[in-house]
Amino acid sequence: MNRRLAERPESKIDDTVNMGMQVLKEYTADDDRLMTLSVGPQHPGSGHFRFTIKLDGDYIVYCDPDPGYVHRGEEKMCEYRNFIQNIPHLERPVIHDSANITYSYSLAVEELAGIEVPRRGQFIRALTSELDRQVYTLYWLAIYGIFLGHSTMFMWPTGDRELFIDLLDALTGARVTHAFNIPGGVRNDIPEGFKEKALRHIAYYEKRLKEYENIFYNNPLLRQRTEGVGVLTREDAVKLGVTGSVLRASGVSFDVRKAEPYDIYNEIDFKAQYMRSGDCFARAYVPFLDMKESCHIMRQLLDKMPASGEVRAKLQPNPKGPPGEAYRRVESGRGALGYYIVSDGTPRPYRVKISVGSFRNMLALPHLLVGAKLADMPSIYWALNYWPVEADR
Amino acid sequence: MTIVTLVVLPLIFIILFYVPLPLADGEVLTPYLFLSMVVDPTRTLPIIQFFMQTELFKVAVFPGFTYAALIAAVTIFVERKFLAKMQLRVGPLYAGKIEGIFQLLADGLKLVSKEIIVPSGADKLIFWAAPIAFVSTAAAVTALIPAAPGWVVADLDVGLIAVFAVFGFFPLIALLFSWASNSKYPFIGGLRALHQLIAFEIPFILSALSVVILAGTLNLTGIAEAQQQYWYILFLPISAFVFYISALAEVERVPFDLPEAESEIVAGWLTETSGMIYGLIQLGSYIKLYALSAIFVILFLGGWAGPQIFPQELGPPGEKTPLVQMLTLEGIYNPVQFNAVFWFTLKTFGVIMLMLLPRGINPRIRIDILLHTGWYKLIVLSFINIFIALALVYGGVFGPEGVLNSG
Amino acid sequence: MSQGSDPASKSNTPSDNLTRADQSHANSKTPPVPAPVSKPGTSAKDLSKKEAEPPAFEKGIIDRLVKEFGSKVRVLYIRPLRMKIAVDPADIVEIATHIRNALGFDHAESVAGTDYPKDNQIEVIYHLGSYGVPELEGHIMSLATRTSRDEARLPSLINVFRSVEYHERETFEMLGVFFEGHPRNDRFLLPEDWADIPPLRKEFRIKGR
Repeated sequence: MNRRLAERPESKIDDTVNMGMQVLKEYTADDDRLMTLSVGPQHPGSGHFRFTIKLDGDYIVYCDPDPGYVHRGEEKMCEYRNFIQNIPHLERPVIHDSANITYSYSLAVEELAGIEVPRRGQFIRALTSELDRQVYTLYWLAIYGIFLGHSTMFMWPTGDRELFIDLLDALTGARVTHAFNIPGGVRNDIPEGFKEKALRHIAYYEKRLKEYENIFYNNPLLRQRTEGVGVLTREDAVKLGVTGSVLRASGVSFDVRKAEPYDIYNEIDFKAQYMRSGDCFARAYVPFLDMKESCHIMRQLLDKMPASGEVRAKLQPNPKGPPGEAYRRVESGRGALGYYIVSDGTPRPYRVKISVGSFRNMLALPHLLVGAKLADMPSIYWALNYWPVEADR
Repeated sequence: MTIVTLVVLPLIFIILFYVPLPLADGEVLTPYLFLSMVVDPTRTLPIIQFFMQTELFKVAVFPGFTYAALIAAVTIFVERKFLAKMQLRVGPLYAGKIEGIFQLLADGLKLVSKEIIVPSGADKLIFWAAPIAFVSTAAAVTALIPAAPGWVVADLDVGLIAVFAVFGFFPLIALLFSWASNSKYPFIGGLRALHQLIAFEIPFILSALSVVILAGTLNLTGIAEAQQQYWYILFLPISAFVFYISALAEVERVPFDLPEAESEIVAGWLTETSGMIYGLIQLGSYIKLYALSAIFVILFLGGWAGPQIFPQELGPPGEKTPLVQMLTLEGIYNPVQFNAVFWFTLKTFGVIMLMLLPRGINPRIRIDILLHTGWYKLIVLSFINIFIALALVYGGVFGPEGVLNSG
Repeated sequence: MSQGSDPASKSNTPSDNLTRADQSHANSKTPPVPAPVSKPGTSAKDLSKKEAEPPAFEKGIIDRLVKEFGSKVRVLYIRPLRMKIAVDPADIVEIATHIRNALGFDHAESVAGTDYPKDNQIEVIYHLGSYGVPELEGHIMSLATRTSRDEARLPSLINVFRSVEYHERETFEMLGVFFEGHPRNDRFLLPEDWADIPPLRKEFRIKGR
């Protein structure tokens, strides 16, 4: 096996050429020695995504991601519907984190059209965002557990997710893809008894988080499999432009809620959680720390919410704004989710570009997989917090 | 109707003419005698007694295939329920009125009715033969296990070595089947199975070796009988631990289930199995689990040793009426034997539960960590244990002049 | 810095803060884009915070850039946390390198291509962010360039910002803009047998609409 790949220097990015192509050129002479595997869409360990890897024994020497299996043309569809009609189909890329992907869109549209959101609406929006963040991160954690073979860690988060889905059900009327955020605020007000129910659920959930730590994060087998695996140094993380928990696991403490606080996040007291090691364990642990922090945020939101008020700004039937453009982003479960919307003065957007965390994090996949063992492949791949449907839009 | 009268009945009569019929209570068991049993049920008792002494009973029913298959079936169901409770869910619930008790039957029916897809380019002979060989090998191991004193199908003088010899056949079957599947993922899975199973053969044998040093015999019945007073796990805990880990690796259970690691290599060397072939391999897997637990019980937990809890006679003493005779199993009931079987089954089941437990706690291990563990750490531990066993023997605790000799 | 100073006005800055230093940011061959009409804000609060001049920190950054490159850089707007400049395709690599090295924007968050058939141009805009410099946290510098629709070629910024690799590839397949210097101008999200025009062009109509 080519030892040069196993002992790679610290910063492995070659500024000039895609590393995968470089490695492939080195190995074409050895073609009969390599085995090509298509970790394709019909694979229990890949989701709706395909990447081709070439193996030299147990080591991966080449990786080529091939997304696009769930591409539905979200950006093109946005140009055919007006600003409000875009909300339901924009939720579909991430069905269980739908609050965040429509939150960012709403912020951008409000900037374009000059809409002012009432204060109570801002709080409810932030609360829905945090609830959906929990729902997504628990699902991600469940799949991470099963990718490593830990079936208990698959069942527990999926079961505990029901706590937050119940809350969303009470709040919005739907479990996932609730289309609750619209430009101007949220659709409805909080029902009665919601605050007590939410506080109960959060208290039970925080007890469960301790159990997760015992069975998963302190499990010596898991630590053996994830510590030191797939190390992404700080310089590489910045150069590759990754975002979200992947970035924070490599030592860069960047959270959009802290960097450019949107809505009322500058009134909430919380910290961006980060770790320095940059390996798979850090990438698995940072979302867990995020979840704990999110519980604090939810408690503060429920406390500080104004007792009454409008939740939605009154809009014209077909809201439109002056020609212009806006770029707004929020912190979703995968990272910074940005919308670049160009408007030409009509009720329909001229161009909507969605910049999702998964698409940006995909760049780290070939970089980390080359030189890794095949058994580390699910661990590295899913730790990049990659949601295939969202990356395809 | 015509086929029955023209073919089947003459066949029966020819067989009955030539086959020597068994003796029952001094009389030849003719069909007429058999039919008269229906009238007087106590006459079946001698038949059952006779049947219990044949070789066929030992092979097919107890402690052979039926016993092993029953325990395997119960294990599968209990495993699903047990894991479900650990994972905060209920497991199979709908097949059968009480808590999904017929789930296994439903699964078996489903597997039998599925189409067996043989991939194109696959080596057909090995593809069909390997699962059957798998089950047969697993059943062959159960043939060597004594479940009660005198109840063993094959009582070999070198019983323990025979067990290891048969276990050495499993990696070969895995490799042959994965090669015959003609596909990349089974190929990787088969190689991993080969590496794993071979790596753990050595600690397996070495840890059992320390028991042999203490017992002085390789015969499994002899080892079990040598522990009537003290179980060997008290003296050789490290060895029991090493044997337990190696057994987990041999059966490919979590955390050692990387030959069929679902998220990396689809289903490993089982990828191309479907229908009854998959059913056979699962059955073989669970029979292997039973066999390993039984061997663990015999080597370390004293086999069938346990306090006598069954009474001398099941019913009131003295002359009994035929019905009571039938109910108290007179002639068949032997308190020592029943007691031995009861304790053996209980202990085996306990060990099986212990082997099911890591599935709910641990993720999968990686191949290089596994090989490192198997070749370095476990061999070192088992050598330490052999030294302990030797010290016990030469220190006069065990052995021919030993203090704790029960021979 | 207006970050965090006034909670009520943090959200929903209306779009009448546009500052266009120059009307035409296109190539000199094509007619300029008409300047947008500045509408008044919809609420009284908006009128009160209508800023006549752009925020100071962002203005400082843009001034340094303009001092370095002069007329090659055309400033389109300077808003709180957002700046947009337009450059020609020939200068983009040089300016991007300067932005990375001197100003501290170390990664590209996204690359968007927009089709303007009225000007017969395609605008490709790079949104650059900074992880390393704490003062630039939250700022996005948008670097825009235009190329003609018929012969859409642009130099790739992959050697400057590694993170544009997949975004440029997607812009290639969705709009038909060829990036010179990019190692793979290939299909990415679209299926391999896509035989139609690039989908994000305006003449591509979704069936039935």
